Amino acid sequence: MATVIVPSPLRPLCEGAATVEAAGATLGELLRAVDAICPGFWERTVEDGRVRPELSIALNGHAHRYGLSEPIAPRDEVAIVPALGGGR
Amino acid sequence: MTTIEKPAYKVIGTRPIRPDGVEKVTGKALYGADVHLPDLVHGAVLRSPHAHARIRSIDTSAAEALPSVLAVVTHADLPAVADTVIDTGEGVTRASDMSLNVLAGDKALYRGHAVAAVAATSAHEALAALDAIAVDYEPLPPVLSVRDAMRADAPLLDENRRTKQPDGALSDGPSNVAAHSRFEGGDLEAAFADADAVVEREFDTKMVHQGYIEPHNGTANWNPDGTLTVWTSTQGAFAVRAMLAELLRLPVSRIRVVPMEIGGGFGGKIGIYLEPLAALLSRECGRPVQLTMDRTDVFQATGPTSGGHMKGRLAVKDGVITAAEVSLAFEAGAFPGSPVMAGAMCMLSPYDVANFRVDAYDVVVNKPKVAAYRAPGAPNAAFCVEQLIDELAREANADPLAFRLRNSAREGTRMITGVAHPRIGHEETIGAARDSDHYQSPIEGPNRGRGVASGFWFNAGMQSSVVASVNPDGTVNLIEGSTDIGGTRASLAMQLAETLGIPYDDVRPTVADTDSVGHNDVTGGSRTAYASGQAVYEAGLDIQRQLVERAARLWECEAEDVSFVDGELRHASDADRRLTFAELAGKQMETGGPLQGRGSVVARSPGAAYGVHVVDVEVDPDTGKVDILRYTIAQDAGTAVHPAYVEGQMQGGVVQGIGWALNEEYYYNEDGRMENASFLDYRMPTSLDLPMIDTIIVEVPNPGHPYGVRGVGEVPIVPPLAAIANAIHDATGHRFTELPISPRRVVEELHHLR
Repeated sequence: MATVIVPSPLRPLCEGAATVEAAGATLGELLRAVDAICPGFWERTVEDGRVRPELSIALNGHAHRYGLSEPIAPRDEVAIVPALGGGR
Repeated sequence: MTTIEKPAYKVIGTRPIRPDGVEKVTGKALYGADVHLPDLVHGAVLRSPHAHARIRSIDTSAAEALPSVLAVVTHADLPAVADTVIDTGEGVTRASDMSLNVLAGDKALYRGHAVAAVAATSAHEALAALDAIAVDYEPLPPVLSVRDAMRADAPLLDENRRTKQPDGALSDGPSNVAAHSRFEGGDLEAAFADADAVVEREFDTKMVHQGYIEPHNGTANWNPDGTLTVWTSTQGAFAVRAMLAELLRLPVSRIRVVPMEIGGGFGGKIGIYLEPLAALLSRECGRPVQLTMDRTDVFQATGPTSGGHMKGRLAVKDGVITAAEVSLAFEAGAFPGSPVMAGAMCMLSPYDVANFRVDAYDVVVNKPKVAAYRAPGAPNAAFCVEQLIDELAREANADPLAFRLRNSAREGTRMITGVAHPRIGHEETIGAARDSDHYQSPIEGPNRGRGVASGFWFNAGMQSSVVASVNPDGTVNLIEGSTDIGGTRASLAMQLAETLGIPYDDVRPTVADTDSVGHNDVTGGSRTAYASGQAVYEAGLDIQRQLVERAARLWECEAEDVSFVDGELRHASDADRRLTFAELAGKQMETGGPLQGRGSVVARSPGAAYGVHVVDVEVDPDTGKVDILRYTIAQDAGTAVHPAYVEGQMQGGVVQGIGWALNEEYYYNEDGRMENASFLDYRMPTSLDLPMIDTIIVEVPNPGHPYGVRGVGEVPIVPPLAAIANAIHDATGHRFTELPISPRRVVEELHHLR
């Protein structure tokens, strides 16, 4: 099972839980699995077949615009964070 | 320099001359305004004199009738764009907002907003033709601060805008607040109730500009075959191509963007302003068109960074920061997209805080749409939090660095996003500052004080691609696509030389256009030395592999019997069989033909950057002038590829931060007119204002890079605002919560004149 860190705005979908355990071989499968536990999660994180552009996924601490086909290992930690830019 | 676990490099860590240095110091380097093409004509832009106005009509007929005028364009000439999000690799923006920012639609949303553009046979004729364009404006009341913009009765920039709330729903009524986001964790109220001490204050910062020396420019040639070439000063040629493709509804394959040398960017040269206008004008008149800005245009019509209002409350218990409640409201300018989220996520990242609530508001106002500026959002937010931490340390009777060290984040500490830090160097950086000669020396004398502050920046990874071609003489041409702002030609060439075991001078780097190299994301997010460096390393390994195969072919042995060591090919069991890199480079034709290495990466582990600053000031209570007596910056660079350029980034960031703290601001009158839109009145510090900025490079290698590199360009601007405010408090006993801490403000607040 991977651990998904639920950002505070999405916790109402997960009965207030800050983390959710779910299984999925890919990021897309994992988010689908979380959606089964927290209905509405998929729609809030995915748009047009990709992670919403205003979001990033942090996989084991490293934030990046991962695709939904990104492989996920059972003990991975996945966080949903806002997308960012820089200036230099 | 503090060094931890650093291998013995041969090229990395040295200080060679930059490859582009001679051309730049002799005036031969070509910048955007130096582009001269056959039949080139010049353009000019008509800009709104109002900060907020409805545009009833635009009549361009008189201008078009002038004999010198070749083309006139308005928003009506831009294709309709889909309401899509454009990912520039540095951030995201809505195509519709970008289109309306490039040329105003039915509303002018800030003074200087482009309304029409003209191409004429000379720059003077183009400027003169602007007077012949008749615009019928209906002036509207402007809204110029986040506090005014957030009032229920505020004038609305867009009557259809609803607030995107933390739960994703849109507000019922219209608002200037584009988005409200929230981060929460722990039990905030219990932590405050149980605290030994609580500090609470409100803070205000002003809009400031990056202040790059070279104004924006754009030259476009739209060919009859439908292909478009654009020469421009940009931090990201591929981002410009993507944005032009969206705005002009052209396939990227029809657009070539040529990045010229860049005279500074700091985040402000990622968006586009003149390029689409030059393209439209060129399409209209069939000739290449060049547009340039003057300094007033740059101030009024490009992207500075946000001012804003912040409110913070922090608690301490037994010397530990137990709670933080912070609200940030940042100006986005005329369209949504302030860096408030970045500020929100950075400000507590140096620390381990278990209980928190952070609210972030993105607010539109009648000012230019903000752009990135060096660690966007983080300096403002640190101005709030690092002053409160200074007060907490005083409440806890602790040395401010010892207090920070005790509360420091480390590997495994979770940020407010819930993401755990990988290996970071905040503790080592605090230690380097604490042990510095500066911090160990007393500060004495009246009206003098010392302040410290920490800063954090994420750093970015993203996509980079390079090609390295081996010449017959053993030199290597490195083709890369990252704009060189801070010496990255050198730092990338050094990483390739290190990988190949050859001298730095044997690598010749070239920044190529979008037709000539694979995709490269912007030079932004402090990513280039890290991510493009990783691509360079991959290209070097690719060349190594091919050299080994070719040597094996020459020696009629298996590739496993050949090794590549220190720039030499060696046979495992025959010591006489050796070839230098240059010797084998000279045998390309007989060993398989031209030798090229390729490196393309999606870099995912940039490694965060931390800086800890120490500053001494002297405040003249009569004139209000603040002198910087001494300044020391300690920063984790991971591995400093070119220490002199790392130090330059550290010093440059500090100097920009000093200007932001003490002098710089967009000064508006009540009509929304910027009153100081020139470098004469917009006061930036010069070398005459400052002492030497002392640098301490800390090296905690980034495990996500083959040489341990972390980005260094942005984090040095994060702490100065707060460090200086803390020093001024130490000197005067007065806490300044509003920027800039200009002589006027110092006098007014110290003498209770406000």
